[in-house]
Amino acid sequence: MSEVFLQRVEGCAVDAHTKPTQLRERETLVEVEQQYVKQFVSKVWNDGISRRLSTITGLDLGERIGIIYHFWQNKDTLHVRTTVQKTSSTAVSIVDIIPGAILYEMEIHDLFGVTFVGNPWMDKKLLLPETWPDDLPPPLLKTSKSPEIRKRLKLEAE
Amino acid sequence: MKMSESKKSARREETAGLMEYSTENLVPFGPIHPALKEPEYFKLVLEGEKIVEVIPRIGYVHRGLEKAAEGRPWVQNMYMFERTCGICSFVHSLCYGQAVEELTMYKVPKRAKYIRLIIAELERIHSHLLWVGLMGHWAGFETLFMWVWQDREIVLDIVETISGNRVHKSMNAFCGVRRDMPENMEDHIVEKMKYLAGRARYYREIIDTEETMLERTQKVGKLSVDTVEKLCAVGPMARYVGIQNDVRLNDPYAAYDEVPFSIVTRNEGDVQGLLRLRLDELIVSTDLITYAVKHLPEGPIRVKIPPVIPAGEHSSRCEAPRGEIFYYVKSTGGRTPDRVKSRQPTLANLPAALEMLKGQTLADVPIVLTAIDPCFGCMDRMSFLDTETNKQWTWSGEQLRQYGIKHYFPNQSRNSPILKETHP
Amino acid sequence: MLKQLETWARKRSPWVYHINASSCNGCDIELVASLTPTYDIERFGAVLVPSPRHADVLIVTGTVNAQTKDRLRKVYEQLPDPKHVIALGACAAAGGVFKGCYNVGQGVQDVIPVDMFVPGCPPRPEAIMYGVLKLLGEVK
Repeated sequence: MSEVFLQRVEGCAVDAHTKPTQLRERETLVEVEQQYVKQFVSKVWNDGISRRLSTITGLDLGERIGIIYHFWQNKDTLHVRTTVQKTSSTAVSIVDIIPGAILYEMEIHDLFGVTFVGNPWMDKKLLLPETWPDDLPPPLLKTSKSPEIRKRLKLEAE
Repeated sequence: MKMSESKKSARREETAGLMEYSTENLVPFGPIHPALKEPEYFKLVLEGEKIVEVIPRIGYVHRGLEKAAEGRPWVQNMYMFERTCGICSFVHSLCYGQAVEELTMYKVPKRAKYIRLIIAELERIHSHLLWVGLMGHWAGFETLFMWVWQDREIVLDIVETISGNRVHKSMNAFCGVRRDMPENMEDHIVEKMKYLAGRARYYREIIDTEETMLERTQKVGKLSVDTVEKLCAVGPMARYVGIQNDVRLNDPYAAYDEVPFSIVTRNEGDVQGLLRLRLDELIVSTDLITYAVKHLPEGPIRVKIPPVIPAGEHSSRCEAPRGEIFYYVKSTGGRTPDRVKSRQPTLANLPAALEMLKGQTLADVPIVLTAIDPCFGCMDRMSFLDTETNKQWTWSGEQLRQYGIKHYFPNQSRNSPILKETHP
Repeated sequence: MLKQLETWARKRSPWVYHINASSCNGCDIELVASLTPTYDIERFGAVLVPSPRHADVLIVTGTVNAQTKDRLRKVYEQLPDPKHVIALGACAAAGGVFKGCYNVGQGVQDVIPVDMFVPGCPPRPEAIMYGVLKLLGEVK
């Protein structure tokens, strides 16, 4: 039931000093600060609000980078959004609560340059090629442009 | 003691540890060989014959779609995302379309929803048949592969008649489908679905009784319910241990809330269970298509929407043949998206696959890896490291396949010269 | 005389090695479908081999991304002379629908010389067979 789901989410949100917003009928968004993320996700996962994590999305919000955790249970979807600074950013890892999140965090690390503290595979590349230059900024930031990346990766016509 | 300690820590750095919940004991081994400059697909660490660790390295098919989507019009992206994967292409465009449609105020006509269901289920049938054939190929059962792929041509013929193409159907449009069902196809489709359901039952019998398949698939690739849930596995990888995880049941989209749908789950928890599961799902799909074709409502197939999508964010999920596909879309009110995020089911199933491999023997690797129905490139190359003999080597998928067949059926297999020259 | 026999044998029975250079798998499944009874490329003598050292013809599918570029070159070098390359699909020809993406090359001919392009997204099994056989007609 949607009301029950919303109520339980509100209950968790209070502990994280935040309030959920309803995006549309069965979609809720909760903005959580980094320090409360682990506690919130732990409650959602362990208290049975949702046992399904779809994925973790990275987002370039201009000034900061957004990290959204997408949970769902039956027809209800819960987006948990947190933000970190844009450069040399670290975020909290939820791998000890949900081991399946390991690859999603690696993806955001590759594409946005966010280091997840607690994720054992942060030194590995998941998607980016081995020939990715160290000084090239992560590709999915708005400031990174495709033609530039292609030149650096030597993919332009020789 | 100090030497082995430093070796232990060196190894931990090289492999970057295991997942937190695993209770693996690290075994010290000799110097690390940095000779493997070529990026490998999977790196498997063995102790004799048993696999103890798997380190994935994907990125072979990373093309930068999400970045490109930010610079292309909404409609162009639909046909680009379709080509993320050749086997489940329709579901990708469907999921993207659904995520974007919700941001507009337009509704999808009923007839379009039914047509979407028919094509999605046809795709599921073709994908499962493809997979069963590949399992036969990897297990050494070539006949099964040939028969199954011949049956698959029936599905591709129907798809071609409806949409014009065999693989990338491009049937989706925002708030509708691009083509209508051809006239007088109903009887033909119903007849073919009946035939395919019969064939699926026959293949079911084969996998339950044929020795080749039984030896290679029974008790292989076992996982517990708790592990599967924690590793966020989706689709058949969750259903084969009994979890009722199917987007068509939990969060129906298209016309799935109007057709009689029954979820298929199994309890065996091994690869044979996966085979049975996918063949049963195939039969359910044929029933769904038969029902949808007989109850196709009249009406328009499409509502044209303006090229500018209002601001907002939305996510959508669909049940691809491999599991749950997830799309997240963010619009700032322009002609191009601000952010599109797509998560393929194979990425979600990868941690579960790595876990499935642990404890298996080398000969089981192709079967277990194919069991998750991977959708990345192909299993081109795998590198191995045997901690007992300190040998390292690289094999192609074909070499591994032949090794597996030889291991299980030493009397049957031909003497492969390739295996002789490459097996260490 | 021996040379003529060799050419005749190679023409009649091309051994094909297939490499997937970051493709969406569409072209690959159509290539594998051409082996199945409905199309049956084996009746023309074409055989898929597991190692590049045994092959006459290299079939490449997919856009070539930064990860697979070097591998493609290495595999091409492993093929014994005389060798031929077929680029299958729109992606292998010029990048296909992904042209301009940050990890996508300009097509296979940027990396290795190509003898035959088979267009399509993906090309039908009949088109693939036509491409392979037409290439062999060029073998002198």
